[in-house]
Amino acid sequence: MDTKPVLMKGIGELNLRSIDVYKSQGGYEMLEKAVKTMQPADIVSIIDKSGLRGRGGAGFPTGRKWQFLPDNGEPRYMVCNNDEAEPGTFKDHMLLEETPHQIIEGMIIGAYAIRSHHAFIYIRGEFKRGYEIFCKAVEEARAAGYIGKGICGTGYDLELTIHRGSGAYICGEETALLSSLEGKRGEPRLKPPFPAVKGLYGKPTVVNNSETLAYLMPILRNGAEWFSSVGTERSKGYKIVSISGHVKKPGNYEVPLGTTLRTLIDECAGGLRDGRTFLAVQPGGGSSACLFEEHLDVPYDYESLAKNGTMLGSGAIVVFDDTTDFVKAALALVRFFSHESCGQCTPCREGGHWLELMLERILEGKGVASDIEMLLSVSHQITGINLCPLGDSIEPFLASVVKRFESHFRKYIREPQYA
Amino acid sequence: MATVTIDGVKVEVPAGTLLVEAAKQVQKDIPIYCYHTKLGPAGLCRICLVEIEGMPKLQIACNTAVTDGMVVSTAGDKATEGRRAVLEILLLNHPLDCPICDKGGECDLQDYSMAYGQGASRLADPKAQKPKAVDLGPTIVLDEERCILCLRCVRFDDVITRERSLRTEDRGVRAIIATATGQPYRSKFSGNVTEICPVGALTSKTYRFKARPWDLNRTKTTCLQCSVGCEMNVDARHNIPLRTMTDPDGKISDGWLCDRGRYNVGFYDDARRLTTPTMRDANGEQVQIAWDDAISMWATSVRKTIDTYGAGAVGVIGGGRLLNEEAWLLQHFYRALGVQNIDWRAGRQRQAAPGAYGGTLDDLENAQAIVSLRRPLSRTAPIADLRIRKAVQFKGARLITVGEIDADSAVPETHIASLDQLADVLPANAERIAFVWGGVRKSTGDDLERAIGSLSGKTLHVFIPGEQQNARGAEMMGCIPQGGGLDTRGMLEAARDGKLKSLAIFGANPLAYFPDRALVEAAFAKLEFLVVGDLFPTATASAATLVLPVCGPFEKTGTTTNLVGERLMVEAALMAPDGVYSDLEILVGFAGALGIEIPEPNAIDSAVATGLARSGTGLVNASLFRANEPPASLREDEVFSGQGTAAFDAPFAAVLSSPLVATAQGAS
Repeated sequence: MDTKPVLMKGIGELNLRSIDVYKSQGGYEMLEKAVKTMQPADIVSIIDKSGLRGRGGAGFPTGRKWQFLPDNGEPRYMVCNNDEAEPGTFKDHMLLEETPHQIIEGMIIGAYAIRSHHAFIYIRGEFKRGYEIFCKAVEEARAAGYIGKGICGTGYDLELTIHRGSGAYICGEETALLSSLEGKRGEPRLKPPFPAVKGLYGKPTVVNNSETLAYLMPILRNGAEWFSSVGTERSKGYKIVSISGHVKKPGNYEVPLGTTLRTLIDECAGGLRDGRTFLAVQPGGGSSACLFEEHLDVPYDYESLAKNGTMLGSGAIVVFDDTTDFVKAALALVRFFSHESCGQCTPCREGGHWLELMLERILEGKGVASDIEMLLSVSHQITGINLCPLGDSIEPFLASVVKRFESHFRKYIREPQYA
Repeated sequence: MATVTIDGVKVEVPAGTLLVEAAKQVQKDIPIYCYHTKLGPAGLCRICLVEIEGMPKLQIACNTAVTDGMVVSTAGDKATEGRRAVLEILLLNHPLDCPICDKGGECDLQDYSMAYGQGASRLADPKAQKPKAVDLGPTIVLDEERCILCLRCVRFDDVITRERSLRTEDRGVRAIIATATGQPYRSKFSGNVTEICPVGALTSKTYRFKARPWDLNRTKTTCLQCSVGCEMNVDARHNIPLRTMTDPDGKISDGWLCDRGRYNVGFYDDARRLTTPTMRDANGEQVQIAWDDAISMWATSVRKTIDTYGAGAVGVIGGGRLLNEEAWLLQHFYRALGVQNIDWRAGRQRQAAPGAYGGTLDDLENAQAIVSLRRPLSRTAPIADLRIRKAVQFKGARLITVGEIDADSAVPETHIASLDQLADVLPANAERIAFVWGGVRKSTGDDLERAIGSLSGKTLHVFIPGEQQNARGAEMMGCIPQGGGLDTRGMLEAARDGKLKSLAIFGANPLAYFPDRALVEAAFAKLEFLVVGDLFPTATASAATLVLPVCGPFEKTGTTTNLVGERLMVEAALMAPDGVYSDLEILVGFAGALGIEIPEPNAIDSAVATGLARSGTGLVNASLFRANEPPASLREDEVFSGQGTAAFDAPFAAVLSSPLVATAQGAS
């Protein structure tokens, strides 16, 4: 199957970082068409009809998100989220480094669609190379008249600001991203108010993922029906999945939503390493619960995954074979979330740390039998009551593997010896 | 309006009311840590979880706006389990040092743990360790381990004072409270963070390890440190005021206290306190005498002076630091003797009441433009300054400063060189305009009156922060020269010239604070008799013929008048030391000795009420000013009515190492 049908087309073959190469492939045509011939409302309506959903993790319908902006005459901001840090996800990183102009064009069209005159992109701090490539691409686009005053000779103005993060996972959460962009501590804000009403600098703001914005051009070019004819009933179109872990060909693959996990793992990623057996797959990034053998024929779409107790998230598929020690895997993820907790709200700040201590102790051989029950109890009690989704991200993977692979945990527990 | 059902009880509240506030109206207890009525929701602690019908997840009551028909359960199984879960996690790394914690007994974490918590912790691992007894600044000590990171202190410093010197440092379980710059936390309002801290993390240096809350006797009174007159609770043990606390619902204080008002209470048991009358003997030494002898010596001397030289040879300075009743009696008794040389003004301020332009503190807060003509209110009337910060930051007011530039300003201000430029900077739509004037120079008052004249049709208010806390009361009680009487400078000049022989000074220290020290010295050298009532051997008291020890603000009962003319209750929180009487008792003794009729208490009360009801016309009362104006600038230590007290307050001096105290000590 073609695993580079739309956004990934040409990656690895052409130097799409160059504006000339990008334009030779039809780049910036849709931007020109949009600002010259289309009304912002038309674009919103096409995107709404296409069924495009946010590719950053939450999967919220993009067209609907745009329509939440109040029409109150205040300036509006378009913010592109390229703070990709979800464990297992590396698609935005690739887009940033390989086809930066797709992100730029998507940002400009998105900004035009929401009638914004200032677009921001928040690039993960670790993506230094991507940042440099992107900066160069923005200069090219500016020189070509796609950014600044009177874009493509129309009366539409747009300024584009690039911001490089400082290395905090939490800044991928949209309100924390906005705080960080404002120069404040990167901490999620209390909702309501939502960014659509009070976002960047207190003004109506849309935060879209890079991949989401990159899909705007193909949808405008080929029509809403083209996009919505691909995928399942409620999960339309294509999605770039990042497959990693114990597979032969880890990497990014752009596939129609609804493709089964088995196809993704066996056909796209080349299957497991020889002689290994499959144990589990984490289908939607570090925050998602594992699926197992019996789930391999589940279609990879938002609804089917939710029905099976997990989520699609940012499209990061991590495959675990029988060499995995799930205690160590669980500690790695719990430690990550504990380390990345901003510390604002209680359950995430204290609970994540508590679980980390417990897992460390179990690994050291100092665990007791009741610790296994405690892992489930504590991770459950800190879930669903946090200020932002980070705190709720700890339980799914941990609970799914503790329940499925309790033997892995038991192995470390030494029953007390009575003399 | 929206009707919400909380635990089966229906309550109607304005739509948009926060659930946590609606629950208060039906006495349903929703625990809170990070939420504070004046700071708003933060959604951090997660203790206020409630179950709302139709919502799958528990919701936080502090950030949920009530909608019509909402059905809420605060005590159902789901909410109870959520609350237990959060409490367990809050207590996880919190040290269980309640027996030695200052907050023990009035701690929200302790109280809710008793009410909703579980008996034992399930934590089998070591607790997180953080810095203990962190010296946050001159006034505050912070225990990072006790801190539950509700960020009330950080938000107070941001939202209320707009100073933004506190912040969170590091993240996750390592997060701690720190100052933004790493420099000490210095604020004129720092003490408030110890009160809003829901646990024992933030403590005042003056109160740490001094008492358990249940051992304190609380008295609600009015702070007498400046002319704002904040509501204040005095917590005393063994007749020593160990701490003072805000009235969270205070209409004047808006729920806050400044550090000056909060901490300058350590002088009551100072060893230098005067506890017995003293007189100067033939060798110039102050020697103790009995009260009866003192009163009779004073009365005899005044009678003799009047008989010999006439009432014009007697003068009285004081009243601005007395209570209304005392100030009224002071002038009443002396006037009964025919004395007209009476003046409360022992410093630079000349006028205290703003004529026809009086307004309330709410008028100040709701003004659309605030024009400040004197040194910043943050120094003279700190809590009133918080109102200005609120007005500028949250109500869209413009702060316009004239002349002096305020280095302390925490909010944006527009500066103009003189009032002539006011029209250029006044917002066109400003209907409510407030002015702050020092009441020191007539020329400034005249400029102000002219500016006001050009603003007809607008709602105008003038605020005069008093140099002494009851400046306005003293003026209204008649402690100003009448019937050809002399003002303070006039009396001092007359004394220097040998025309004024007998002077009484109550609650004033002109030798230290009168702008012309040489004149005071020359006058004192010539006086035949000087009686001074004070708490301490101040410079002026040391020069007196007769010194009478008097009560401090927490030791007497009566009323005071604040800068906006409100009559406020002062309640005795302490018993005066043996041998010390209030100015009122002393004055009554004096009148008795001279056979002056002593008014009944209700007559005094109605005289005070009548005096306060008097309202002027215009703004500037020309009769209060003299041609040669004193210099307008004030020394830092003169701006508070406390004046002398700071110099005799060792605990206060220790925590507030600002020039203010240093100067006051030097000047005492």
